[in-house]
Order: sequence, then C-alpha cells, then structure tokens
Amino acid sequence: MPDPTTVSVPHEPTEVLLDSDFMRRLEQLEIRARRIHTARQAGERRSRRKGESAEFADYREYSVGDDIRHIDWNVYARLERLFLKLFLEAEELHVSILLDVSASMAFGSPSKALYAKRIAAALAYIGLCRQDRVGLYAFHHQLVGRLSGLRGRHHTMRAMQFLQQASIDGESHFSNAARQFALSHTQGGVILILSDFLDKHGYEVGLRHLLGRRLDIYLLQILAPEERTPNLTGDLKLVDCEDGGVAEVTISRPLVERYRSNLKAHCDGLSAFCARRGIHYLFTPTDQTVESILLTTLRQRGLVR
Amino acid sequence: MTFLSWPTAILAGTIAFPLLLLLYFLKLRRQERRVSSTLLWRKAIEDLQVNSPFQRLRRSLLLLLQCLVFIALLTAIANPMARFTRMPGRRVVILIDHSASMNALEPTGKSSTSMTTRLEQAKQAAVMFVNQMPADSQAMVIGFADRASVECSFTDDKRLLRERIESIPPTDAVARISEALELAGAYGHPDVIDSQRATAALPADADAPANRPSNVEVELFSDGRISDLGSPTDSHAGPSSRDESSSPRTRNVTPGITPGAIERLGRFQYVRIGQAVDNAGIVGFDVRRDLERPGYLNVFVEVENFGPDSIRSDVTLLVDDKPLIHRGAVQEISLGAAGGTGDAPAGRTVMFELEQESGSVILVRWERTDALAADNEVQAVLLPPRSIRALIVTDRAPVDVFLRKPMAELFVQDITRMHPKDYETVPESRLAENGRSLYDVIFMDGHDTNRLPPGNYVFFGGLPILEGISRIGDVVGKSLVYGRESHPLLRSVSYESLFVGRWKKLALPSSTVSLVESEDSVVMAFLAEPRHKYVILAFDLLDSDFPVRPAFPIFLQNIVEYLAGGGASETGQIYQAGETVLLNVPAGAQRATIEAPRPESGRRTETLDLLERAILPYAGTQRAGLYRMRFDDALRTSSAFAVNLMDRRESQIAPQQEILLGSQRLIADDDARPTAQSLWPYAVGLALALVLLEWWVYSRRVQV
Repeated sequence: MPDPTTVSVPHEPTEVLLDSDFMRRLEQLEIRARRIHTARQAGERRSRRKGESAEFADYREYSVGDDIRHIDWNVYARLERLFLKLFLEAEELHVSILLDVSASMAFGSPSKALYAKRIAAALAYIGLCRQDRVGLYAFHHQLVGRLSGLRGRHHTMRAMQFLQQASIDGESHFSNAARQFALSHTQGGVILILSDFLDKHGYEVGLRHLLGRRLDIYLLQILAPEERTPNLTGDLKLVDCEDGGVAEVTISRPLVERYRSNLKAHCDGLSAFCARRGIHYLFTPTDQTVESILLTTLRQRGLVR
Repeated sequence: MTFLSWPTAILAGTIAFPLLLLLYFLKLRRQERRVSSTLLWRKAIEDLQVNSPFQRLRRSLLLLLQCLVFIALLTAIANPMARFTRMPGRRVVILIDHSASMNALEPTGKSSTSMTTRLEQAKQAAVMFVNQMPADSQAMVIGFADRASVECSFTDDKRLLRERIESIPPTDAVARISEALELAGAYGHPDVIDSQRATAALPADADAPANRPSNVEVELFSDGRISDLGSPTDSHAGPSSRDESSSPRTRNVTPGITPGAIERLGRFQYVRIGQAVDNAGIVGFDVRRDLERPGYLNVFVEVENFGPDSIRSDVTLLVDDKPLIHRGAVQEISLGAAGGTGDAPAGRTVMFELEQESGSVILVRWERTDALAADNEVQAVLLPPRSIRALIVTDRAPVDVFLRKPMAELFVQDITRMHPKDYETVPESRLAENGRSLYDVIFMDGHDTNRLPPGNYVFFGGLPILEGISRIGDVVGKSLVYGRESHPLLRSVSYESLFVGRWKKLALPSSTVSLVESEDSVVMAFLAEPRHKYVILAFDLLDSDFPVRPAFPIFLQNIVEYLAGGGASETGQIYQAGETVLLNVPAGAQRATIEAPRPESGRRTETLDLLERAILPYAGTQRAGLYRMRFDDALRTSSAFAVNLMDRRESQIAPQQEILLGSQRLIADDDARPTAQSLWPYAVGLALALVLLEWWVYSRRVQV
C-alpha cells in the first residue's frame, strides 16, 4: 500500500493550472460553508455560530444558565426585560479537496484529470487566500496523495505542485478512499470531491462515510463529451482502462441510445442520492470552462461567493 | 421456374444457416478500443440482450448482406431451372436406342465441321433430362438395339444415371424395342415399388396384374428407326419404307410388341434424335462359289440410296484389303433419289466375279462418305475349298449309292465305304487323329456302335451306344406330324410328304433336340454333346421313300453344311450385327480368344472359356467388321467371320417424326423437348456481387 503522503511521479507534462488573471478574480471569492463548523483555531471567517467576536449579530431573550455578562443592560433599562446580546464567532474553515486520479480520469480532451486539477487548484487558491485550512487529497483505489493543513497564500505553490505532480493511474475505488479520508479527518468543514464517479464499486458507501463527519459535501461529477456521446463505430472490443475488463459490442443506434440512457440514469441516481442526503451535486462537463464553473455555477450553487 | 434440388438446398440451409450466425458471432475481429469504463456499456449490452436475444443482429447491414449471399448460394444449390414445357414424372424409364442408325453423324450445334453421332446426342439429351429431373424422381436406363439391357435400375442417384447413360456403347445391330418395353413394363410394374426390389427379382407373373396401370413414364431417345415399330407417316419414304408402311393399318397394333408391355407402362414421350437423311449403303451381300468352277467366286452386292438426291459413286471390291486390278473390280453406280422419282432406281444389284482359290477376306466398299459409315462396307471370310471326307458304314450297296451320289455333287471329295465289322476292328488311326475323327461326317447304316471318336455321326436305323439312348419298341403305320423347320438340318426339307413305313421308338436323353416326330415318338433327333454331334434317324433308310425324295439331297447338304461346315455357299460365314454366331470348337481347345472390331478404339480382345463345348455360341457381334478367333488347341486353330450391317431399316437413317407404339401414336414434338435453362450460374453471380458489396460496406465502416 503506497504511502498516502507521497505523490506519484507525474506522467503528464507540468501545465499551468491557473493563470494570473484568473487567480486575481479568484482572490475576490471565498468558500462558503452552510453548516456551522467548530474549528480548533479561530480564523478570519465569521462563523454563523454566535460567539465571542466583537461583531454584533442578534438579540435573544435570556434564559436560566446564560452568561449574564452578555445581558444588554440598556435594553433592560428600556424594556425591563432581559435580552442577551449575541456576537458572531470568528472561526477558520477546513476545505478538503478529494481529487480522483484514477486512470479513467485521463480521458477526454482536455482530459478530465486536468480539468479536475484546475478546479481543485482554483478552489484551493480561494481557500488559501481566505486563510482557510486547505487539504488536497488524491485518490484512486485509496488515498494515494495528501497535502493537508495548508493555510495562507504562501502555500499556493505547494498546492499547485501537488496537483501537477499527481499521476493519473490506477483503478478507482471511491468508497475505499472516502472511508480512509473519513477516518483521518475528524474536523468538519467543506469537502469537494472531483471525480467522474464511473466506479464499479459504487459511490454510496463512500458518501455515507463522509456524511457521518458533518461535512459540507460538494460533489462535482466530471465527464468528457466523448463519454456522454460516444463516437464509436463497428464491432469493437471495449477495454476498461482501469481494470482491463472487456465488453464486446457491435455499435448500433439502440446500443448507443441505451448507453446514453444508462449514463443519464447513473448521473440522475447520483444526483438523487446526493439530494436526499444534503450533498451538493454538480454535473460538470469538461466542455464547460473552468472559469464559468467557478465564477458562475459554483457561485449559483452557493459554494463560493 | 422450378428447383430441381430443393431438398439439398433445404438440408444445406438447415445446417449452414445457424453456422453462419454462429460464425458471425465468432468470426468478428473486433477492433480494440480503450474506454474510461465499461460499466455503462456492459449494462447497456445486458439490457439489450434481456430485451431481445438477437438484438445485436438487428440492423446489421453486413449480416443482412451475408444472409443474402447465403440465400443466393442456397438458391444455386437448389439448381433453379427456367420453366420448361413439361415436368418429368416421378418414375421414368429412359430408353436409349443404340442401334446402327444411331451411329449416323450429325453436325453439332451450328457448326457444320464438327460432327457427333446420334447416340452421343441421345446421351446428351438423356443426361440433360436426368439433370432436369426433380430430386424426388427416380429413373432407370435401358439401352436397346437388337436386344435390351438394363443399364441402371430405378434410382434417384443422378450421378449414377449419368454414368450409365454415358457408358452405353454404340452397336451396328438392328433396333428392336419390344424387349426393352417388356423390361420397362416389368420393372415399372406397380408391384415393383423400389429399385432395389426391382433389381433383385422381376415379378414372377407380370401379366396377371397387368390391368393395373403403372405410374411409369417412358422417355424414348431414338431416331425412330426401330424394326419392330410402325411408322404411320414417313417424311422421307424410301423404297423399303414404302414396303413397310404402305400397307394400311386397320388396327393400331405394332407387330412384335405384346399389348401388355405397352399397357403396363404409363405415358410415352418420344424424343427424336438426329436430322440427317443423306445415306446410301449396301443392304445385301452374298458370296458363292461357282458350281461349275469351284475356284471362281460370285459376289453379289445390293446398294441402295436412302437420301433425297440422286448420287453416283464407285463400288470397289477388295481382297485381303487390296483392290483388285482386273476389270470390273471397281464399278461406278448411279442411284436415284429415295422414293424412285428420278430416272435411275434407288437400289441396284452389283455383281463381281473373281478367281480365288485360297482363303481370304472379301470386302466390298461403297466409296461415298455419308452420315452412316457402317453400311458402306461389307465383308466376308472366304474359306478355301477344302475336301470334305465322309465315311459310310454299311453293308448294303443301295444305301451306299443313295448316299454317295448326292454327296459327290456337294463337293464331298473323299467318300469312303466301310463294312460295319471292319469299322469295329480297324485300327484307331484309321478313324481318328489327334483325338478327332478323320472324317467330317460318318454315316452309320443300321449299325449300333460305341466306337465313337469325337466327330459328327448320322445314324440311319442304328444307334450310338450311349447312356440314355435305347430302343423301346416298334412303330408301324403312323404319320409324321411335326418337324422343327427352323433347325438348320431341316432347312428347306419337306418332311410332310415323307413316307416312313416303320421305325423304332427311342428313349433319348432330355438334351436331345427332336427334329421330326410322329404322334407318340421321335423319328429324327439331334444330339449335341461335347465334341460329338449325332443325327439319329429312327428308321431304316430303305423302309422309307426318303432317299428318292428331293428333300434327301437337301437334307444331306444341310448335314454337310451344318455338321461338317462345308458347302458351296460362303454366306454361312456372313452374319448380321447382333446375330449369335455358332463357332465350331477344334478338338482339345480349352479357350478361345476373339478379336472384335471396334471402330472407335481399334480392336477389342476377349477370352472365352470353352467348357468342353463342341460349339461355342458367340453373341458379342454388336459391331460390323471382321472377327478373328484363336483357339488354344494343339494346332493353334484360327478362323474368322465377318459381321455386316445389311439392314434397310438401319440404313434408312431419316429420323421418324412419328412412330406407332402399340395403340399409341407418338409424335416427336421438338418444341416439347426440355429446353430448360439452368439458373444456378446467375445465383452464383449474384452471390459474388453481394460479397463485393459486403466488402465495400465493410471497408466503408458505415456507422450503423
């Protein structure tokens, strides 16, 4: 079993994942967490949890046991009723990015892996700029690379190098990797999973592991146009690039239609599974630009603002 | 259109079509393509296979084309034929005439240079007929000339039928169909259902259930020149046909054919073979020694023209294949057209005279090339005038006189008289040499003896002392009621007016041939045993008026000719094709080697086992020409005889448009002849075109 902290030798030439112009635009964004997270260390982030910061948030009626230091006496003088003065709590956000680096991600033009790396790089950069605790995890049949605990913009280069050097190989086993991640990651926070989810072992078990960790889960399913509309003809022996499995097919219109309906059912099933469990699912075709994903789609879905 | 071999095609399709589908699944050399995951593809395949097991076959253009190729090939196997005028029946008897007239040469197709015989054309037509037969039809093949032979009994094996048809040999014999019809009727009898039983045994009583009609169809491939058939009309009537057909037929009965033979058969179809009419040939031939001058020969030849035009040609006489140089050896003959419409008669007799002491082969040739070559030559084997020796064993002078005088006229040069007592006592060397009698014929007058060296004996009142021969009583005052006139010994002998006062009633072996009989006893008998021949007259010559009757010298001549093989006429050595020849076997011979002529491929030699026979019947005289025999006796005796066509019916080669078969009038309708066109080449061509199309489609890799 490879060391999860090591990064495999890259098999693709190093590419610039983010250009400076896009990075400047990303600096204006921040990652939003919908849940209230308890961070061990105070951060720059205003938590929705009411707490100890100086920033006023709201009032609420006093009840027995409340800290009497937070009673707003001026209001008591006016209304003769006890109200507590609530303040927003400042906390840091854990942003974990799980990047699928299995062999199937090498498909597409540009490859799904490069596409996923760019999104991961952009989100990591947003997190680092906002002093979030950013963790990058590469997985195929298990976690095969980990770069966690990054905070601050000065870690940007490390994050970029990690992503660039993550080699695309191996058989995908998301459940295994998610279980591994859930065991090692006890904090809450936001987790983004970038994968094609074409996993023969299924995704349900893995997502259930993550749900148990009170994480704000964002799931980006990345598919290439060739996968959505296969351009195949004739009598073919389809070889699975991950496990070498073979499917002998004679391409016909009914077969292609059946494939597309199966793909739609697969995506719909994933979406429905996520919707029922409060997981944010986002279908991400690679023919959509990374900029539009980040600046438009993810904004609309509330992951960034 | 019909399919001749559809069961074969169905069988092939049943076996091969699933194989094609199987191969279609197995044969694909699928192109390998790497994909991100086969997860969804497998599911899609499973879904489709669950919905439809043959989903992968659906809308596969390549498979569709392959199926079309396959169907085209199956169609070719089924042997499709364009529609022809009639379908053959389920059981067909194919009669093929291979008589002499079927050797007439006919131009092949449109080319006038290449020629083929009618027999070959008949075989081709018969083979074509067999090819066009439906697969469930059975056929048998009978070849007939002067006799019929079953070449192949009922079978549906077309290959065997074709082989047997092709193997029918040409002959120069006269065509007679009656035996073939009897055979066809017997084999096609309703009781004889399948060919196996038909070959095993003919129905024992074929006539009894003859009223039941047969489902057999008869296909007759012939030129219609069949001697035992009638010809109601004759488009090229020659003199002979005029003789044969001019008599008004009051009843539609063909002589020589039993009505049952026709009625036992079903529908007849006459396929006329041949077109040629131009032929002239020798229809009569005889060679005789001059009675006054035994060294001189008279050769009579009758030539006749059967063609529509007057002709002129030479008739040449050859001796031992060398033309004679004296005057009259070549004679130019003009013959008028058949039918006698011209000035010259259509037939003429030509006579040659030549001096010929020694034995030789006389050949007369009609020097004209026409359609039938077999009747342009006749030949005869001429034996040297040999001295015939006779022994008269008698003690009565009148008998000696009665016998000696006529025999002296019959060129019996050496006539010896011996007393019976002397006969019994003389040394063996005076009677026999090399195990054979010194005399060609021995007359025993009232003398019983067991001293019988191999030879020919005539007993007048006496008996050979042999087992089974004895006297059992006297017969007095009875008349003679029967005589076997067909026997060579009684030829032209008038026995009815013969008076015999008394004779002995004889007990004779069962193999004895009775020549003359009274009401209850044999008066004259002939007994042939290995190396012995006996003519036994049960009466004393002087108890009858036989010696003074004109029949007596004729009888003696028959004896000399038949027993001793001699005489003035040489025609005994001239035979017609197909005739059975009786050959005298020399003493001590065990085997005979006979060289028979075969115009197509030289001579054919066959060896016969003689089995101690004194006379060898030889029936292999199917071809005209010279037959040579060699015996393996001590003297290595060799002899020869000639076989000639000499038949007007066969020489008149103009094919008959219409023949009368029993009560059926068969018209050769050329349009009704099968003219089916085999379509399998087109089916194969279509299959090839589809293969090319499939290859083009495959190469294009059309998205489907």
